[in-house]
Amino acid sequence: MEFAIETNGLTKRFGDVTAVASVNLRVKCGEIYGFLGLNGAGKTTTIRALLGMIRPGEGNVFVLGQTVGPHGRGPWSKVGHLVESPSPYPELSVRENLDVARRLHGIRNPKVVDEIIGGLALASYANRKAGTLSTGNLQRLGLARALLHEPELLILDEPANGLDPAGVIEIRELLRTLAHEKGVTIFMSSHILTEVDRLATRIGIIHKGRLIEELDTDKLEKLRSKRLEVRTRNLEAAQSGLQRVGYGSIIQDGTILIEDARAIEHPDDIAQILVKDGTPPIHLALEQQNLEEHFMQLTGGVK
Amino acid sequence: MTGFASALWAETLKMIRSKVPLFCLIGFSMAPLAGGLFMIILKNPEAARSMGLISTKAHIMAGTADWPAFFNLLTQAVAAGGAILFAIITIWVFGREFSDHTVKELLALPTSREAIVTAKFIVIAVWTLAMTLFIFVLGLIVGSLVVIPGGSLELARTAFINILGTAVLTFPLMSFVALIASAGRGYLPPFGWTIFTLVLANIAAVMGWGDWFPWAIPGLFSGAAGPRTGQLGLHSYVIVILASLIGLVATFYWWREADQTR
Repeated sequence: MEFAIETNGLTKRFGDVTAVASVNLRVKCGEIYGFLGLNGAGKTTTIRALLGMIRPGEGNVFVLGQTVGPHGRGPWSKVGHLVESPSPYPELSVRENLDVARRLHGIRNPKVVDEIIGGLALASYANRKAGTLSTGNLQRLGLARALLHEPELLILDEPANGLDPAGVIEIRELLRTLAHEKGVTIFMSSHILTEVDRLATRIGIIHKGRLIEELDTDKLEKLRSKRLEVRTRNLEAAQSGLQRVGYGSIIQDGTILIEDARAIEHPDDIAQILVKDGTPPIHLALEQQNLEEHFMQLTGGVK
Repeated sequence: MTGFASALWAETLKMIRSKVPLFCLIGFSMAPLAGGLFMIILKNPEAARSMGLISTKAHIMAGTADWPAFFNLLTQAVAAGGAILFAIITIWVFGREFSDHTVKELLALPTSREAIVTAKFIVIAVWTLAMTLFIFVLGLIVGSLVVIPGGSLELARTAFINILGTAVLTFPLMSFVALIASAGRGYLPPFGWTIFTLVLANIAAVMGWGDWFPWAIPGLFSGAAGPRTGQLGLHSYVIVILASLIGLVATFYWWREADQTR
């Protein structure tokens, strides 16, 4: 089995509204796939189709090599999920909620509940009713439910939602560990682009129901690459001076852009060269083009 | 049905932890307690009047101060109150999954959706049956404390069959409440349905078509419109069974096939 998730021409319409149109997803086993899109782009509809919660109007969905639906059929004992915000039973305690999930997953060993409570730092809230939890702890409970049965595939909608900065880092490391050490495939949507950028090995961008781009590792690396931005009072003279000592550059929007690794590691050398050439820098900054810029360009959003 | 035992355990835990069934039980307890009060008033109308209690109302509601009248009151309370309180329990068990958005945690599981729906119906059945038995026992206790005249074991046995029969005819019709709570994704649509069927049941009974209208049949069975002999036939019971089955099958179908967007 090469792909943990595969959709072919996945299309879903609600009345006149096409929520998802001809989405072809391929998520390899062991991959961390970031699924990006603006509100209403079709992320949650896609996730619900992956989980058999909605029936595709057209196309088909395979999860872990098995056809999803009809009749809610799927490899659910191997899939953990968190769809939109977590919704535990408010009148049940954290432990009881997880015990319900344990039983519905057919796990006999009750100790898994204690283990996951410990693993997600929920021990001090174990006997507290879920309805009284903070947003961050609700998110932890949702993740605990998703991870309880040690799934092979995690489908997570906004996993970092509501977590404080320490919690975000903790969950990021947890997911990274699961992917790298246990080979868990992670399919996660997020609005927090920096989170996806830091974690994902591949990214899909969905816009107006269509998967408009997939960024693989190479393209992501390129996106993440740094560059040195230089501005002087005489750009052409400065560029020539840099060229003479072996630093290639381009001029864009009144700025010299240098992607040479030596320049990025030693921007002070560039400053010295420019000063010696009589074209001292009036601006020298190490910049990183990021996913956010790319995403905004693609989706036409305003940064 | 994969995971039925787990689903039953989960539904039972949710029911035990919820306050709704308890409130329904308290609400249902009002029937024997009010019946007992009416018996006191009817036994001593002058004393009741001097205490400011309205004996006329009690007379209209219960008739005479004896066990047949008391049991009759209880049976009719099960027919009218049961239709509402059983519906509230059903609305809670099904509708809350949509109102609280917890349904999405029940769909992509090794435990089948059929097991979950079956477990829900069983929990509702057990709870409504327990409530019915409770008010019968409470009725016996209240009646004994009030010292109502004219009791016998045979009368109690007949009353038990009437009360239980009314509940047994009322409960299966909850399948439509479950369906509307699921398809309506919340509390209000099934509550509206409950009121709607109650009104229609009354109209059907008044028009003389009650024996053909499923939601009027439990009320007619209870004796609310006089002795049931002559009012209900075999067709009435068949209609209740058929209507309930339609609701049941539709509920299962909906849980299996419908898009779940909550």
